[in-house]
Amino acid sequence: MFNLSEIQHDALVEIFNIGVGHAAAAMSGIVNEEVTMSVPSIQFVNRLDAASMLVNNESRRICGISQHYQGAFTTEAILMFPEDKSLEIVRLMVGETVPLKELTDMEQEAMSEIGNIILNSCVGNLANIFEQELQGSLPVYHIGTSEDILTATGDQSDAVVLMLHIDFILEKHQIHGYVAFILDVTALHDLQFQVDKYLSRIMGST
Amino acid sequence: MADSVLQAINIGTVVLDSTHQVMLWNHWMVQHSGKATHDVIGRNIFSIFPELKNSRIENAVNQALRNNFPSLLSQTLNKAPFPLFPHGADKVESQRLQQAVAVIPIETDTPPRQCLIQITDVSIAVARERLLREQALVLRSQTFSDGLTGIANRRHFDVNIEKELRRAKRTNSSLSLLMIDIDYFKAYNDHYGHQRGDDCLIQVAANLSTVLHRPADLAARYGGEEFAVILPDNRADTACIVAETLRQKIESLSLEHAQSKNPAKVVTVSIGVATRTPEHHLETTQLIGAADRALYEAKRLGRNQVVFRNDPPASA
Repeated sequence: MFNLSEIQHDALVEIFNIGVGHAAAAMSGIVNEEVTMSVPSIQFVNRLDAASMLVNNESRRICGISQHYQGAFTTEAILMFPEDKSLEIVRLMVGETVPLKELTDMEQEAMSEIGNIILNSCVGNLANIFEQELQGSLPVYHIGTSEDILTATGDQSDAVVLMLHIDFILEKHQIHGYVAFILDVTALHDLQFQVDKYLSRIMGST
Repeated sequence: MADSVLQAINIGTVVLDSTHQVMLWNHWMVQHSGKATHDVIGRNIFSIFPELKNSRIENAVNQALRNNFPSLLSQTLNKAPFPLFPHGADKVESQRLQQAVAVIPIETDTPPRQCLIQITDVSIAVARERLLREQALVLRSQTFSDGLTGIANRRHFDVNIEKELRRAKRTNSSLSLLMIDIDYFKAYNDHYGHQRGDDCLIQVAANLSTVLHRPADLAARYGGEEFAVILPDNRADTACIVAETLRQKIESLSLEHAQSKNPAKVVTVSIGVATRTPEHHLETTQLIGAADRALYEAKRLGRNQVVFRNDPPASA
């Protein structure tokens, strides 16, 4: 599987941590309560492995929010949580309500907004650091198996998935989720190129 | 043609230029904001609606104009950001429209880009979900209440004790539990019959609840003629006072009980009390066990009394 050098890897982890930090601040503003988010690790995997990272048993449904980005590199970004965790997040964000078994339409929209904030922050920070502009689409809500969700946006079998582990902490609840960036070979090289450009810029300046 | 469509469309449509000035304000906006198009065109959106300054809306607008990213603002997380009303702002009667908002960057022939704010009225969907929740709440309260006495049932008790114990651990506070048993109830049933027995249970249950005043206190039917009361944030001394009040309350009802060995021949209860404190940690089963043993002790000592007992944790 594709791999970054240690320094490229560390740079990306740091960039994403700053991104989710912005997202956490935005969400704290919405709920008036401290929300913290971090990206403890990232890794490149193929779609199949990405799908299996999300599930321990196969029947577990996943809630995904996807956005398409294009520009300096093209990617489908998908925020994913197990369905029960997505219920937990929305209900923590909204405050205690009568728990229904599934997310209602309005809750799905709230989840889409949360995804929108997190994905825009991650990609936005990436774009800023790369000094590039990207275009984004509005979020789309998905529910299904992790495989369904990872292939919902097209089926390039050679695609590589950049998986971000995300820790989301709200009101003493810690919830683990993932952000997947689906990258084809071109996008992968574009991303690597941008990381290198950024690194040589910051190395050059010291 | 395109402009007529935008005017006619049943969605709030606003276009801002890169300096937040209103470029387009469709008929829907006029209708629900009470602000005419000629009053807003060319004005800064944040001076038209000062309350939007430093809000998620401003954030989203900047996100679109600067970063070219669209944002979605759900009704659930943002309530009603724009002061929009079913019949315009003039009519004071109404509440704000429930809104779902999308803020989308739009490229123009000549940069810089502008942004489109699209507002959808979701009041009907919000009302429908409120109804759904209310019905779910009714259903849940039915599955959580005891069919005979109307107070919380065993399932409610099990859920609640876990919840309160977790809360007590988190907040480092006390939690007391009372186990209550009607004295000589089998003899009562045998003597007066099951219908009178049921009436007795209903009376006792109803009076338990009247002694409890705080919203978090919970009286539940634990099983048969046994009841339980959960008292969050109560230390042993307070819990014993509540227990004693309960005991007196039941005795003072003077429900005739010919088979009682109590000289007054009225229905009485025995109560066992146990407390979890920050210094004395008990898990759910230990707390229930301790209260149960205290209840047994109260029975053994002659009934119609309160006994407090705190067993050390099993590990000690």
